[in-house]
Amino acid sequence: MTEAKKLSKKALTKSFHNWYYGNLTCFSQEHMQTFGYLCAMLPLVDELYAGNDDKKAEAMNTYTAFFNTEPQLGTVVVGITAGLEEARANGQEDVDDETINGLRAGLMGPIAGIGDSLVVGTVIPILLGIAMGMSSGGSPMGPIFYIVVWNLFAYFGMKMLYFKGYELGTKAVEFLIGDIGEAIREAVTTLGGIVIGAVSATWVSVKTSFALFNEAGEAYMVLQEKLDSVFPGILTACFVILCWWLMAKKRLSPIKVMLLLVVIAFVGVLVGFFDPGLTY
Amino acid sequence: MTISWLQAILLGLFASLSSMPGMGGTSIGNYTLGRPLVGGLVCGIILGDIATGVMVGAAMQVVYIALVTPGGTVSADVRAVSYIGIPLAMVALKSYGLDAASADGAALATSFGTMVGTIGTVLFYGTATMNLLWQHIGWTAVEKRNYKQLYMVDMVYPWISHICFSLIPTVIMCKLGANVVDAIKVALPMDGIAMKTLFTVGSLLPCVGIAILLKQIVRNAADFIPYLFGFTLAASMGINLVSATVVAGMFAILIYKLKLLQLRKPAAAGAAADFDDDEEDI
Repeated sequence: MTEAKKLSKKALTKSFHNWYYGNLTCFSQEHMQTFGYLCAMLPLVDELYAGNDDKKAEAMNTYTAFFNTEPQLGTVVVGITAGLEEARANGQEDVDDETINGLRAGLMGPIAGIGDSLVVGTVIPILLGIAMGMSSGGSPMGPIFYIVVWNLFAYFGMKMLYFKGYELGTKAVEFLIGDIGEAIREAVTTLGGIVIGAVSATWVSVKTSFALFNEAGEAYMVLQEKLDSVFPGILTACFVILCWWLMAKKRLSPIKVMLLLVVIAFVGVLVGFFDPGLTY
Repeated sequence: MTISWLQAILLGLFASLSSMPGMGGTSIGNYTLGRPLVGGLVCGIILGDIATGVMVGAAMQVVYIALVTPGGTVSADVRAVSYIGIPLAMVALKSYGLDAASADGAALATSFGTMVGTIGTVLFYGTATMNLLWQHIGWTAVEKRNYKQLYMVDMVYPWISHICFSLIPTVIMCKLGANVVDAIKVALPMDGIAMKTLFTVGSLLPCVGIAILLKQIVRNAADFIPYLFGFTLAASMGINLVSATVVAGMFAILIYKLKLLQLRKPAAAGAAADFDDDEEDI
């Protein structure tokens, strides 16, 4: 038997960069990340099957199957298939089209779920929340902080996922779905909840202009003051909870909730509950 | 404040890079340049007023703080929010003489941005549909085993989709929009019902953004406590966001340790030695 083929660091790095940049550049509703995946596999297939066009075509054909997940966390799947393709090139019999595509299809869903809620739904909002805190008065420090921290995190995080996937195979995802993963998820979710609470108290301001006047024209009951003495910002919190209830419990789409808010605002203005009190 | 052709084209270029699916890639394009906070900085630099740009961007960021696109469905388009909405909101603030740092300035910016962002979903579907053309070329290339062509399909041809659906619409909207902003000023007085509603909607809209995020975290009433705790830190105790994050981090560590202990209780009782190994993973 000939010496076992081993993917070079150069080919793996190129494959990773193709994925890192190109995972969604040619997006369509029909094929989503499929072309990004093909581009990521190309340097690997080129190296593993150099000089054997039939084998190359056979391998590339595997990756024409539909693929879509959260692309950043999904890097781990690309890494795992890099390892599998290497095994297949070495003639390992239990690795074929079906194993590879079965694995890809099986991981797509769970990784998208974890990635959307953990990376896009928690890490990014937390970083943005901190960055917004640093932007007061229009300071560019906030956006710059976000640009630097997020991109370092994304690039090196994805690179680590890719190579962990390549080295460990499916063991790499056990970390994500095992007990450490679950504990991290729970902790980060709480962290996210607290930060989002602080973000909404700082940046969202729903106020009422409703007041009752006595005969002399002095306001003796300013509703906003009364409400704030109960719990500062209570009106903002109530509106957030109302929107949550409409979306989570009543299953309304965000667009419908926004339209409903337009109606609430219009009626509120008519009855004098809301009044920004501006003139040119 | 007016937007020149050169400025409009630069904005269009950033729109092409940042949209989902953008030519800047996912991490740099969509999740960096596409975020309204970063878009605010970029627009501020292009239009020559960084402070206003960042403040407008921050105000809009609240609405889109949890912009997740599960399975490729979008409720708003980041390129439209960040590179059409922000520049127009900046023009409007200047035109109406409002301070971007005030609550009213933020409300106006939010109303404008959300309107444009919602309409902008058309651009998303336009780009994605046009990409089918390039993908068709791609499938032919795969059949003919001309694999080098795949790079063109994935990374070069989509630029044409973006010139059609990101660059040109942005240029047109920015050039025309500035006039529309002035026309609104003449047609609708600030103390009229329409403008009052617009400002009120602007102050209410961020609630939707926050609620989208909460939808992922909150399953029952008790899950609201961390949210309200954070709210109290900022609203009642006046703690700023960075400090609030540190406090939240403390709780996160406690929960992590508790949860791990709880999950591993049966295993740990059986094999205490095993526990030492696991410590390294943390």
